[in-house]
Amino acid sequence: MPEKPKLALYWAASCGGCEIAVVNLNEKILDLDAAFDFMFCPCLLDTKIKDIEALPDGAIAVTLFNGALRTEENVEMAHLLRRKSQILVAFGSCAKGGCIPALANFTTKDELLNSIFIDSFSVDNSTGIIPSGTTSFPEGDIHLPGMLGRVKHLAQEVEVDYQIPGCPPEPEQIWNAVEAILSGNLPAKGSTIGCGTLTVCDDCNRTKEEKRITAFRRNYEFYPEPELCMLEQGLLCMGIATRNGCGAPCTKANMPCTGCYGAPDGISDQGAKMVAALGSVMDIGDTTGLSEEAIAARVDAFLATIPDYAGQFYKYTLASSTLGGRVRR
Amino acid sequence: MKIGIYFCNCGCNIADKISAEAVGKAAISFPDKPYLEIVDFICSEDGKLQFEESLKLEQPDRVVVAACSPRDHEATFRRCMTNVGMNPYLLQMVNIREQIAWVTEDPKVATEKAIAAILGAVCRVREQQPLEKKLLEVCPDALVIGAGPAGMKAALALAEAGRSVVVVERTPFIGGLPVRFEDLFPSLECAPCMLEPLMGEMLHGDFPGTIELMTLSEVVAVTGFYGNFNVKIRQKPRHVSLHECIGCGECVEACPAVTTNEFNSNASDCKAIDFAFTGVLPNAPYLKEEICIRSRGEECRACKDACPMGEDVVDLDEVEKIVERRIGSIILATGARLYDASSVEGLGMGVLPNVFDALQFERMLSSTGPTGGEVATSEGIAPAAIAIIHCVGSLDDAHKPYCSGICCQYAFKFNHLITAKLPATAITHYHRELVVPGKAAHTLLNHAVKNENTTMKRFNSVTDLAVIQDATGRLQVSVKGESAPADMVILCPAMIPAEGSASLAALLDVSLDASGFYLELHGRIDAAQSTVKGVYLAGSCQEPMDIQRAMLEGMASVGHSLAGLQPGRMIEIEPITAGVDETHCAGCHLCITVCPYHAIAFNPELNVSRINAVLCHGCGTCVAACPAGAITGHHFTNAQIMAEMEGVLK
Repeated sequence: MPEKPKLALYWAASCGGCEIAVVNLNEKILDLDAAFDFMFCPCLLDTKIKDIEALPDGAIAVTLFNGALRTEENVEMAHLLRRKSQILVAFGSCAKGGCIPALANFTTKDELLNSIFIDSFSVDNSTGIIPSGTTSFPEGDIHLPGMLGRVKHLAQEVEVDYQIPGCPPEPEQIWNAVEAILSGNLPAKGSTIGCGTLTVCDDCNRTKEEKRITAFRRNYEFYPEPELCMLEQGLLCMGIATRNGCGAPCTKANMPCTGCYGAPDGISDQGAKMVAALGSVMDIGDTTGLSEEAIAARVDAFLATIPDYAGQFYKYTLASSTLGGRVRR
Repeated sequence: MKIGIYFCNCGCNIADKISAEAVGKAAISFPDKPYLEIVDFICSEDGKLQFEESLKLEQPDRVVVAACSPRDHEATFRRCMTNVGMNPYLLQMVNIREQIAWVTEDPKVATEKAIAAILGAVCRVREQQPLEKKLLEVCPDALVIGAGPAGMKAALALAEAGRSVVVVERTPFIGGLPVRFEDLFPSLECAPCMLEPLMGEMLHGDFPGTIELMTLSEVVAVTGFYGNFNVKIRQKPRHVSLHECIGCGECVEACPAVTTNEFNSNASDCKAIDFAFTGVLPNAPYLKEEICIRSRGEECRACKDACPMGEDVVDLDEVEKIVERRIGSIILATGARLYDASSVEGLGMGVLPNVFDALQFERMLSSTGPTGGEVATSEGIAPAAIAIIHCVGSLDDAHKPYCSGICCQYAFKFNHLITAKLPATAITHYHRELVVPGKAAHTLLNHAVKNENTTMKRFNSVTDLAVIQDATGRLQVSVKGESAPADMVILCPAMIPAEGSASLAALLDVSLDASGFYLELHGRIDAAQSTVKGVYLAGSCQEPMDIQRAMLEGMASVGHSLAGLQPGRMIEIEPITAGVDETHCAGCHLCITVCPYHAIAFNPELNVSRINAVLCHGCGTCVAACPAGAITGHHFTNAQIMAEMEGVLK
């Protein structure tokens, strides 16, 4: 019996949701196991790093790498798995665009550590210890990997062959991507797979009309009409600027799309695109005869209805965006 | 890819600051190693010849002309390229004269800037694609909305030019506001007499084209675009056949239902079936359904039975209908009306007797009006003293900020006509400013000023004025407490757009200005064009104006219509428009909302947006807005813009 191709599923700075999404393949996971030698997955298997290091380069057929790069260890693993893998896939939004971990790029490493270990209300740290480096215990030394100054997505550190979007990727789309890999029926290197070619609006069957938005409302404020476009109802639905393929489960559950599949094909910056789109449909009423100040005040009042620009527009893509985070001068 | 850079010295304009030689040296390292040719004056006859000869010899794939502003000569160089068989959209111009040579002191810096800008153009032009103009068949006929002076003038001129014209008029008659006046400023011509020839031709004229007049009608829907509009017009039932009625008035006599006549400012009565006013054209009554006793469920056919012209003239069962017409251009001539003087507090409008606005007074002066032309108070007495208050709600930020420009002139006309009828009556003009422009208007002013019974009183603010009724019942007009008696007060309010002009604007997507008048494409050079292609403006729907200007604008709008749309001639469609990549459009509708030209429509079967290239101005708003990146601005693609920026920043 010929040896099955090796499959690795690694997590860097991530929540574990991508692993759960793989488990959510349900009975298909048996097909996955039949097709691959599922040999590395820290959350499920006991393979050690030294086992991976011992493999010849290119020994792993496919690595699904999820999570952003937050620590030096993440970077090390990215390089190691790149070296050992024939196909390296940025799996899920953290590996693809930075996702939630990358929102830390709006602050500095020091501010971040300070908030977590010193300033937090729930922390009592009178000696001001910030865990780092090597600490000795009777049982032995514990080494904490250093934190990077900025969170990166996978392709900012190593060459990535394909990307599968989603937070997490939908199981059907994971399977579609696996099938594409198995059949060798793959698009050009660098492509995003396991997704559609349009935006979430195409997957969402709500009625779309002309869009004029006078103010945004938040989910807790009202029950949205189940048949009408969420954006038209004043919910900040990211579906218009988000790649489809998820099947729009959120809008089907009466929740607005938060944009986890990232920017559609040909768009380099999802947040900027969303802002451009919203700027075009912002309805501040009839401004005929109003002074510039009065118009500006109306625009400000409109913008005040958006509580968190970064978390809203760059929740999944900050690391891969044009600015990448806070710009330091 | 072979790229040619043509560097124009523009004599010393460019050559003094930018070294062509240095640009040529730098160009060797540009992508595709373009060749550089220096021309002394590329826009001159010799220069164009040299340019064309060089293009023929070198056969470049793309061309960069580094010279002046593309506003000056892009068309010139595109023509040269067309002449030698090249697609003109493979040209990129760099403005090294206005933007660099003229504004940069140091020649070294200027040359560096020029190199960067030309490199940007080279990088961009490599991404440019050949584009083709398209041709489209058009309908040369026109719709005129409003049959006042401007609308009539336009309709007649169009018919004379052989066009079919549909004239939609909301009232039952033609002639607009002035047909209800007695005499007109500046030369006191009889208004109905002056307008009669035009009105006669409107109804019975013999032209190469046709005029289809629809009274009691309104445009309710407009689809399509320049050259190919489809309009739906709602015709309210007149219940009287314009074709067969001879205007004898027998039905009016017979009608048992009475109301007040809105066209006489409700100062006289009329029947449910009646003429709008005496002498009205078309010379036929109309039936006001809501007044007719049949509306109360009672049976009545008095008018029908009284008609000597037969059974079919009065049709009591006529119902509203919607008719559709296809036309190529639309002329808006919906006119203006008076600002409601009762909203200017303290002047007694609508509260005190014998306080009239100018339109009510015009009707009082008119021999076809409620008093048959007699100037009399509501008690039927000739007034011994009349106050005429100018600038009511005009030049006033609390009301209308603008000067309507016609009020002073008709106020002095009132002075003249009152004096002619009642020589002993004292007239006081209360005015804030006096505006009598032009070569003819001063005569009425002079007449008033020389009239020994006339007093001129200037006020600073309308809030300084008060009109009250004293204990004897007589009116008193006071300016800052100084009071003078008056038996009649005439208010001259600001002119404002006609009722319904805003809803019509919404229907056509025509923009309005801050005062609600239709916005011109350009206030000085294109005042007869609206912001929508193929929709033209005539008369006081654009701004307050007198009859002379309204007639001229009527003709101006016809000029646009005739020049743009000619039978058998197709219109050229500029290829620099936006286009939807239907394989990437998810049907979110966002672009439809943002298009300022209504150029985008949704195709529900394919679930995609489509852009009408005739209506698209290539502004790029939808390109920026499309969240799916499915819209491309032809000739301004993201790739072209990015390449240019990267080139400049290299």
